Parts: sequence; structure tokens; C-alpha cells
Amino acid sequence: MDLTTRVGDLLFKNPVLTASGTFGYGREAAELYDLSLLGGVMVKGVSREPWPGNAPVRIARAPGGMLNAIGLQNPGLEHFLREDLPFLRRYQTQVIVNVVGHDEEGFLSVVRGVDGQAGVAGIELNISCPNVRDGLMFSQDPERAGQLVARVRRETSLPLIVKISPNVTDPVALGAACQAAGADALSAINTLVGMAIDVERRRPVIGNATGGLSGPAVKPVGLRIVYDLARRLDLPVIGMGGIETGRDALEYLMAGARAVAVGTAVFRDPWAPPRIVRELEAELERLGFGSVEEAWAAANPEARKVETP
Amino acid sequence: MRRQEVTVAERLVPAEGHVELVLAFPEDEEPAPGQFYMLAPGDGLDTYLPRALSFYRVFGPRRLSFLFHVVGPGTQALGRLRPRDRLWVTGPLGHGFPLPEAGVRAALVGGGVGVPPLWSLARALRQGGSEVVALIGARTKSGLLGRQELAALGAAVRVATDDGSLGHPGAVTDLLAGAGAERIYACGPEPMLRAVQAHAARTGSGETYLSLEAPMACGYGVCLGCAVERQKPDPELGAYGAYARVCRDGPVFRWDEVTF
Repeated sequence: MDLTTRVGDLLFKNPVLTASGTFGYGREAAELYDLSLLGGVMVKGVSREPWPGNAPVRIARAPGGMLNAIGLQNPGLEHFLREDLPFLRRYQTQVIVNVVGHDEEGFLSVVRGVDGQAGVAGIELNISCPNVRDGLMFSQDPERAGQLVARVRRETSLPLIVKISPNVTDPVALGAACQAAGADALSAINTLVGMAIDVERRRPVIGNATGGLSGPAVKPVGLRIVYDLARRLDLPVIGMGGIETGRDALEYLMAGARAVAVGTAVFRDPWAPPRIVRELEAELERLGFGSVEEAWAAANPEARKVETP
Repeated sequence: MRRQEVTVAERLVPAEGHVELVLAFPEDEEPAPGQFYMLAPGDGLDTYLPRALSFYRVFGPRRLSFLFHVVGPGTQALGRLRPRDRLWVTGPLGHGFPLPEAGVRAALVGGGVGVPPLWSLARALRQGGSEVVALIGARTKSGLLGRQELAALGAAVRVATDDGSLGHPGAVTDLLAGAGAERIYACGPEPMLRAVQAHAARTGSGETYLSLEAPMACGYGVCLGCAVERQKPDPELGAYGAYARVCRDGPVFRWDEVTF
């Protein structure tokens, strides 16, 4: 079975990555299994300075998923380069650095810092975190998103992935602006803004009031947005949102994603990512596919057209 | 840390609204006192996130029990389980209670469902030659947990109830004054833990340890959901060091490490 896949110029040994913010910088999972089993690791968001994250409560239960408002707690660029990137370099997997900032300069500083560093395969611009001040600022206006992407593009030749928010009226318009500004790929989706209420305390459960909904409950939304992005734009898409099994991963590939990321599932099953690689392989075999590429092409008519002129 | 499918061997109701599940593990389990497990009942649709629970009693190498108060959807799903039902369990997780090198006089303070992790601690302390005073508190008499079980380990048990229905009328932490303890271990609701912190600050009793609970998604350090504020953050970490993870840096902390 050929599990390799390409997202633009990025080559992955298999299409299963770990989603940013659910995997730290790989240390915890590395105690459980060999990270080289993964197609790639999208690391926890990295900001220019260390960020403390939000005051508790940060987590709430939700049917078929959960809400979180962590607030991008992270040790900052310098710590990432000194401690975390060298650790990840030990593994044969593609490391995608998720970049966060409060403003354009914040994003640019991190991009400059990771550009040219050995072991960085690509950058994922996180313009879609709903849990920090101005987290969605660049998502609400395609023009501002485009401006940021264009400035980042001038700073780096690394593959540039932009993470798309589902909390906008038209994700395709947002993706189109990123494409026009020089993005190489899109990832979708980030969490959906939601809320839980504690009736005993008569107030929202989460300290920040709102949080991001993730888990199986959001999979239909993720599939729809990936499908729209993949069909209406010319950028490869990394799909995520509620992936629990190899079958879920295949659904995303057939919606048009070139690779997928596993996020919230690792909370319920820490071994989910390597399990999903195995399950995907079995599922492809069951359906008579010889490769990830074949399964993708079978469901994506544009690709079929290219293959049979 | 392992993830295993386990079987409910027994379901006990030690007090109204409380359930103790005895779980049969496929392999030997050797958790340290104060460690916890993530319990995931059902198919995950109603209650997606597993529930973090410290283990309570140990029955042989492959049987541990978990005692909880049925309050929210997570504990309701666990409370619905019956003998022979199966569930996924991940653990043991976190750092447990630090044990003294030689025998001491230790006070164990448990409020409500904070009592369960103290059972294995009391056992380990007794085996290490310590004297154990167990101070058990609850709102009312029927909520006092683990009295016989702790007494059976050789602990001197004293109780307090908020409504005065049994033992000292008032806070269980009032009993610390007469306990003469060289070491204090506490698990219970936040107001109780704050009172233990205040006691430690007043008496300068450095050897005071608190077991915390926090809403938790993963239990092994990746989600950063179970943040608790550090009293003395590591300056090397800058703003990032403001919070510790209850799951991985704890759940047991020295009294002066955290504030909540």
C-alpha cells in the first residue's frame, strides 16, 4: 500500500498528521510510541514571546466532543528553537510549525525565527484561534488575511499553510484571499466557537465564557468546508475536525483533503494517530485502492479528468 | 501508562449518590498512591471526554476500585455501569503523594469525595511505619466516606460534619490543630484545601501536600486544560510558567506551589 501523499511541495510518508494544540511539541506522545510513525506533526502554536494562556476553567464537556479555551499557552519562539525543535528533529516525520501572533509583527517575528531552521518542513499560520484576544482578527476580513499572508510570503520560502476558521460566513472567500497572497496550502478546520453553562453557578462553565468546539460533533462541518475549499480553489487542503478512525480520515481524503490531522481524538485515545494510520491502510485495502492517491482521485472528479485525458 | 479495556467486577453504593466500581484489569496494575486514571465509559457520544479519577482501594494485583459522587454527565455515565460492563481506562497518570523516608505522624485530610486517594496513601504510610490520623469531613453524616476502610488499615479516624450530625461540628480542617502531625496530606474541595494551605502557612509545616482536581481532557499533559496557577513560576519560562498542569505536574503539589 502506498500511503505517501503530497501537499504542494510537502511530501508525507502517510497522510496522518497530529493537529496543532492537541499534541504539545511531541514529548508526551513520544513516551507512548515512535513519532516516526506519523506523516507529520503540527506543533502547538508558537508565539514570539511566551504566552501564559487563559485563566481556568479552560475545558468543558459537550455532546460528541468538548469545548476548550486554552488561550495558546506556549513557551515562545526562543524556547521552541532551543528545546522543542531539536527534540522533534530526532524523528523521521515532517514538522509543521503553527505560528500565532497578536498582530502582523508578532506573526512575522516567529516566521523569521523558524525560517531556515533544520527540521522545519513548513509553517501553518494560525489566523483562526477563537480563544485569544484578536485571535480571529485576520479571519474576519479576507483582505486583512491576504495582507498578512503576503507579508509572511516575503519572509520565507517554506511551504506556507493557512489554517481556516469555520467561524466565518464564507471560508472559501478567506481561502481565496490566502491563495492570491501566496499561500501554498490550507488547513481546515479550527474549532467552532461555542459555550456551556453551569446552572449551579449560573454562569458559563469556561472562564473565558466561550470556547472552541471540537471532536466528532464537528466532523460534518469540517468535511463540508474541506469539500468547498478543495473544489473551488487550487490549493491542496489538510483536513481536520472530528477524526477518530481510519474511516473518518478516508472521508476527509474523499472530500478533497490531501492529508488529515488528528486532534481531539488523542485526548480520549493517546494512541489514536498511529492507530488511524493502520485503520486507514486497512480501509483502503478493503475498498481495493493501492494508494492514498488513488482513493483521493476516485472521489475528486477534477483529478479524474487529469488522469484520463 | 497504558490504555486497557477493563471489566466492572463489582458495583457498590457506599453512600447515597456515591458509587464504587471495582474494575478488573487484564494485567497487573501497580499505581502509586495519589495517581489517577482516565475512565471512558460508553461510545463517547454523550460523554466524549474521559473522567479523571484517583483510584481508591486495591484488591489484588488486577483489581482497583474507583469511588465517585454522581453529579455530572461523566460520573452519571460511570454510575450507570453494571457488573460485566466494559470500559476503556488509561493510566496510571500523574505524580502521587511523596512518602516520608522514615515513619512519621501523618494527618490525612479528606473532604467528601476527596477521601478515596487517601486509602492507598494510608496503607503505604502504615507499611512504612508511620502513624496515621485520618480526618474525614462531609456536609452531613451520610456523606462521610471510607471511615471503616481507613480504620481497618490502622488509621485513627476523626470526623467532622458541616451540619454537626456526627463528630466535630464544622470544618474538617479544624481537627488539624489537635492532630500533632509532622506531615499533612489533603484531598477535597477547594475551600478545604485553602484552609489546609492557611494552616501550613501559619504553622510553617512545609511537609503539606495537596491533591488537586481540575477539568481535564487528556490526563497526560497535552491539552493544557487543567491549568492551576503557580505561586512561584520558573523565571526561565517567562509568562508560559504561570500555570502548572494538574495532570502531569500534579495532581499532588506541595501546599506552596500553587494557588487556586
